[in-house]
Amino acid sequence: MEQLIHRVEEWVRQQPIEQIYVAFAVLIFTISFFGLFRVLRRSKSNTILLAGLSGSGKTVLFYQLRDGSPHLGTVTSMEPNDGTFVLHSELEKNGKLKPVHLIDVPGHSRLRPKLDELLPHSAGVIFVVDSLDFLPNCRAAAEYLYDILTKAIIVKRRIPMLILCNKADKVTAHSKEFIRKQLEKEIDKLRASRSAISTADIANDFTLGIPGETFAFSQCRNKVTVAESSGLTREVSQVEQFIRELVKP
Amino acid sequence: MLDQLLIFTRGGLILWELGSSLKGSPIDALIRSCLLEERSADAAFHYDAPGAAGGAAYTLKWVFDNDLGLVFVAVYQRIFHLLYVDDLLAAVRREFSRIHDPSRTSYDDFNETFRQLQKEAEARAEEMRKSKQAARVPTAPKKQTSGSGKQRNSGSSGNTSGSGKDESDGDSGKGRWLANGSSNGQGNESKDNSRAPSGFLKGKETGAREVGAFDVNKLQKLRSKGGKKTDAGGVGSKATKAEPKKNVKKNRVWDDSPSESRLDFTNPVDERGEEPLEVVEADRGESMMDKEEIVSSESESEEDEEVENEKPCTKKKGWFSSMFQSIAGNAVLEKSDLKPALKALKDRLMTKNVAEEIAEKLCESVAASLEGKKLGSFTRVSSTVQTAMEEALLRILTPKRSIDILRDVHVAKEHGRPYVVVFVGVNGVGKSTNLAKVAYWLLQHEVSVMLAACDTFRSGAVEQLRTHARRLQIPIFEKGYEKDPAIVAKEAIQEAKSNNSDVVLVDTAGRMQDNEPLMRALSKLINLNNPDLVLFVGEALVGNDAVDQLTKFNQKLADLSTISNARLIDGILLTKFDTIDDKVGAALSMVYVSGAPVMFVGCGQSYTDLKKLNVKSIVKTLLK
Repeated sequence: MEQLIHRVEEWVRQQPIEQIYVAFAVLIFTISFFGLFRVLRRSKSNTILLAGLSGSGKTVLFYQLRDGSPHLGTVTSMEPNDGTFVLHSELEKNGKLKPVHLIDVPGHSRLRPKLDELLPHSAGVIFVVDSLDFLPNCRAAAEYLYDILTKAIIVKRRIPMLILCNKADKVTAHSKEFIRKQLEKEIDKLRASRSAISTADIANDFTLGIPGETFAFSQCRNKVTVAESSGLTREVSQVEQFIRELVKP
Repeated sequence: MLDQLLIFTRGGLILWELGSSLKGSPIDALIRSCLLEERSADAAFHYDAPGAAGGAAYTLKWVFDNDLGLVFVAVYQRIFHLLYVDDLLAAVRREFSRIHDPSRTSYDDFNETFRQLQKEAEARAEEMRKSKQAARVPTAPKKQTSGSGKQRNSGSSGNTSGSGKDESDGDSGKGRWLANGSSNGQGNESKDNSRAPSGFLKGKETGAREVGAFDVNKLQKLRSKGGKKTDAGGVGSKATKAEPKKNVKKNRVWDDSPSESRLDFTNPVDERGEEPLEVVEADRGESMMDKEEIVSSESESEEDEEVENEKPCTKKKGWFSSMFQSIAGNAVLEKSDLKPALKALKDRLMTKNVAEEIAEKLCESVAASLEGKKLGSFTRVSSTVQTAMEEALLRILTPKRSIDILRDVHVAKEHGRPYVVVFVGVNGVGKSTNLAKVAYWLLQHEVSVMLAACDTFRSGAVEQLRTHARRLQIPIFEKGYEKDPAIVAKEAIQEAKSNNSDVVLVDTAGRMQDNEPLMRALSKLINLNNPDLVLFVGEALVGNDAVDQLTKFNQKLADLSTISNARLIDGILLTKFDTIDDKVGAALSMVYVSGAPVMFVGCGQSYTDLKKLNVKSIVKTLLK
C-alpha cells in the first residue's frame, strides 16, 4: 500500500506543473457548470401539489384530472398519489402538450410531514376546501392553510396558490366569496395568537400580511387566488386553467 | 353474509367493490383509527355506525398486499361470526394480485372469480366447523353451564371495551372468558345466545367512541397468557383495595395507625400574617416553550452493522444469493426475513424504555406493512425495516389535532367563558410543579390565569399552590382540605368567570389507576365541570406501567361518565424529562396507548423548564 502511494507521488512529481494546473481548472469548471445548471433547472419544475383537509376531495380531483372520472370512489388516502400525465380534457387537443406532474398529498393530520418533503420541488399548490362541510372544519382548514402560507419555501419562492372550493355542485355549498372571507378572518385571528409567541415559534417561519391591517389574501407575497370546482361532476375548468398557467407547454 | 368486500389502493382509490352500501363510513373509520395508528396487526376492527337504531354494528377484517400497495377489507355484521373471512381474504389477495395492473382502474371481470372463491371458502369453513363440532360434543355441556353463570354477570357490570381478537376455535380448550358488561345490554345477550352452540362465549363490544384507545382486553389477554384471569373480579368486587368507601368523607387510612385529630391546618389568618415575607417575583426569563430547538441534522450512520454482527446468522438462502438479490432488487420480503431485524429493533426500543407490549405491537404492525414487498435495489432488509419503523414512529408521535392551546384559549375567551384545564395523574408525577410552569408560560403570553386547588387530600397541597400563586401573582381559589374536589372546581370556574380570568388550571390529587373510589371521584369532577382539556401528567421515568395507567384512566373515565360522549384524556404532559438521558420510550408508549398528543414536556424543576415535544429528535433517539 505504501509503495503504491510512493509510486503515485513520484509519477505526479514527474509531470510538468502546467498540466496539473490545467487538469485542476478543467475539473473545477465542469463541477461549477453542472452546479449552475442544476440550480437554474430547479426553477422550472412542473410539479403541482394537491393539499387540503382529509375528506375535501383531493383524490377525486386527482383522478378526475387524470382519467376524466373518479371511477368507483375513494377512501381516506394513506399515501400520496403521484402521477405525470397530460390533463384528460386536453387529450383531444393536438399539438405539443407538456405533461403535468401532479401529487395528491393525504390530508390526514398524521401524514402532514409528507407535505413538507414535497414542497421544495413544487411549482404550485392547490389547497382544496370542502365547501359543503365548511363551517365545522373552518378552523382546521384555516390552520392548515396558515401553516402552508408561512413556510419559508412558499414565501421565498413565491409559489402561487389556488384555494379551490370543491363540491360546489351541491345546493348547500357555500360560495367562494364566503369561504374566502371566512378564511381571511380565521387567519387574521391565527396571526394574532401565533405571533403573540416570540420570534422563535417552531412552527411558523414568517408572519403573514401587514401587521395592523386585517388580513387579506392579496397581502401575501405569493399569488393566492380562489376558485370553485366540483370533483364529481367534472367541473374542473378553473383548476386546469391554473395548472396550465404554471406549466407552460 | 358479507356486507361488503372492498379493494382499494393505499392512495385511496377504490378498485373493486362488492356489496350494498354501508351505514356510516366504516372504512374511513378503519383507516383513521386503526391503520394510520399503527394497529394494522390487529385481527379485526369493530365499528358502530353513529345514530343507527341498533343492528348497524360492523366488524372489519383486512389484509395487505404490500408489494402492489393494496388493501383488502371485508365488512360484515358483528352478530355474525363468520369463520371463513380470513381464508377468503387470503384467496382474494392471491387471485387479485394476478390480474392487477397499475394502469387499469376497473376490474369487473373479478366478480365471477370472487363468487367462486366465496363459495369455496364457505364450503371449507363448513367442513371445518362440522369436524370440530364432532370433537367438541363431549365438552359442550360443561361450557354451557359455566357460560350461563357468567352471562348474568355481563349485564351488571358497567364495563365497555372492545375485544378484537378473533380466536380460532383451537383455543376453546382454555375456556377463557372476558367479562364485559355493555351499555347496549340487549345486543350482548342476543350475541351470546347466537354463539352458544359453538360452545365458546365471547363478549364483543366496542367503546363508545373510536378514539384509537388501546384495547384493554387484548392487553389483559397478553398479560395473563398463563392462567385464567377473570376481570369480573376486578369490576365487581373491591375486596383487595384498602380504601373503605364510606358516605362521609373520612380521611384515608393507609395502615392501622389511628389519626383522628384535626388535619386541616389551613389557617386563614396566616395569609395576612405572612405579608412581610419576601415575595420573590417569578421572572426567570423566557419559558423554554418559546425557544427554538436546534436539531442537528447529522447524517444517520448505519447502525445496522452492529445489529447484524450481534445475532447469530442463520440464513436459509446462501449469503451470495441474498447479496445478489439485494443488489438486483428482486427479493420479496418474507416474514422470516423480517423477524431477526424486527426482533433487534424491538430490543432496541425496549432498551429505550418503551413498554414491552407497545414495542411488540409496533413491530407486528411494521411487519404487516412490509410483508410481501419487493426490496429496492441495493437495500438490505434491516435498512428497509428501519425506514419503515421510523415512518411509523413519526406517524404515531405527530399529533392528530392541533395542540395550539393559545388559540383554544382565545376561542374560549370570545365565547366569554374561561378555558379549564384539569391535571390528572398518579401520585408523585409532578402535577403541581408542572401546573405552575404552565401558568408561568401562559402569563408570558398575556393570558390571565387562575389556579384552583382541588387537591384537598395531600397535606400541604393547598399551601404549595398558594405559594406558586403568590410568586406568579395570580389569583387562587381554594377551600382548604377535606372538601369535595368537584364542588371546589365548580365554584372556581364560576369565580373565574366573574373576575374574567381566561384560564383556570385545576390541580387534583394523585391517585392510582386501580383505586376505584378515587377514580370515581375524578370522573365526577370531570363530568360535573366539563373541562376544555384533560391533561394526563405522566413521568418519563415510568416503564411498562405507563400503558396500564393510561388505559385504566381512560377506561374509568369512559365507564363512570354519565353522559354518552365521555370525556377522555385529551393531552399528555410528560414530566421529569431531564432525568432520562436518552431513554425516551415512555413518550411513545403513552401516545400509542391513548392516542392523545404530548402537549408539554417538563424538563426541570424551575418555572422556565417547559417545552414542546420535538418529534423528529425523539424518533432519532429511539432508533439510535
